Amino acid sequence: MNRNLQIAFLFLTPSWLVLAADTQWVLEQSTVTYHVSHPLHQIDGVSHAARGKGVCQAGQCDFLIAVPVKSFDSGDSNRDLHMIQVARGAKFPMVTVRLHLPADAASQPTIHADLEVEFAGETAHFKQVAFEHVTKGNQEHITGTIPATLADFKIDPPSLLAIPTKNEIPIRVDMTWRQ
Amino acid sequence: MKPNLARSFLGTGILVFFLLMACPLWAQVTIAVLSGTVTGPSGAAVPNAELSIKNVATGQLTKTQSNSAGVYNVPDLTPGEYEVSLSADGFANKTVNVTLAAGARQTMDMALQSPSINPGAPSLGDLGFTPDQSKGSAQDQARLDKRSRMLKTHQRLGLITTAPLLAAIILGNGAAGKKSTASGRELHAAVGGVAAGLYFTTASFAIFAPKVPGTTVRGPIRLHKALAWIHGPGMVLTPILGALAYEQRNRGEKVHGAASFHAAAGAVTGVAYGLAILSVSIKF
Repeated sequence: MNRNLQIAFLFLTPSWLVLAADTQWVLEQSTVTYHVSHPLHQIDGVSHAARGKGVCQAGQCDFLIAVPVKSFDSGDSNRDLHMIQVARGAKFPMVTVRLHLPADAASQPTIHADLEVEFAGETAHFKQVAFEHVTKGNQEHITGTIPATLADFKIDPPSLLAIPTKNEIPIRVDMTWRQ
Repeated sequence: MKPNLARSFLGTGILVFFLLMACPLWAQVTIAVLSGTVTGPSGAAVPNAELSIKNVATGQLTKTQSNSAGVYNVPDLTPGEYEVSLSADGFANKTVNVTLAAGARQTMDMALQSPSINPGAPSLGDLGFTPDQSKGSAQDQARLDKRSRMLKTHQRLGLITTAPLLAAIILGNGAAGKKSTASGRELHAAVGGVAAGLYFTTASFAIFAPKVPGTTVRGPIRLHKALAWIHGPGMVLTPILGALAYEQRNRGEKVHGAASFHAAAGAVTGVAYGLAILSVSIKF
């Protein structure tokens, strides 16, 4: 009877409870998009090259996601090279995001995470960023927007025709994690 | 003899004086200073943080500590590349690289992070990026910086060039036709000359900007570059045809032969130039 209960429990356990065990998560698919606003242009730079790993131990989970700065494509090679230049991407080629979550954080449809983002040689912290998540089998599909600004990373706004871009560069993430 | 000797001493004295004066000046120019503020994850200053500054080329180590306001200052560093290691109680260690130029007074603020609660937290090495992807290069960054500076100048000069170019096209009305005057032709030629001079200066900043190996040209910049193959030769051809037309008119002849294409060449050049500006300014 006990054994049957255990098996039933295993099948019925939602994935967020599985997070609590010692598990590893791997970023399977991702789309990371930054948005830049200029009076003459609305620019979206997209990367599918993010890699990530999550380690859960003793009820705590640590995640690391990294994206090469070079991998963002805005549809114009000249603009992308300029983006790499202003973001000091040749010297600091990776954007990394670290987050630490209690294992039961995923018990709600929205995860609120404190993020530590390293970009352009600077580190910025974003408190309680909301991510929606949907569980499908052993996969977690996560979407959200990091409210980043150029000033967070001490980047001078690039300009076109002497008009600078807006300071806000929201970064939208769409990720699928697999256990 | 004695006055000559005195003059020799005076001359030597002046020379020594200037040499002595020059030494501190030389020292001021070559020595760099590194300073900044050490902060924690919340942005609060971290006092007594240990900084170890290692010259990558010589291996020479300089150590210092941040003061009560988190500020550190390292004078007397020789120019070069340094590895700065930072540690403080209650924070994760941090290492950053910095390149100091001769005479630089560089400010480098550093933020320390809380040590990871989970010792098994993933690191960048776990993600499988190649060293080419994850290792930065100050040299490549310097090349990109130079490229951007040159292209910004290209952009500004290009906009400035638009004014004399438009003026030359408008003044072309006074230089051609039955009502044209010698002064009208001279003014048109002078403004056209200014436009051509500015144009080639503008072009040189794009042509000689450092190239980034492995970059595939894509997007609106392709159209911008393609149009240069029209307005570039046009800016060579138009003044030549203009000079021929100018000579013919001054001889009292009607403009004929190749010179009769001067206006058309100028118009095509002007349109291609305008489209080149629009191609990188407005999203089609």
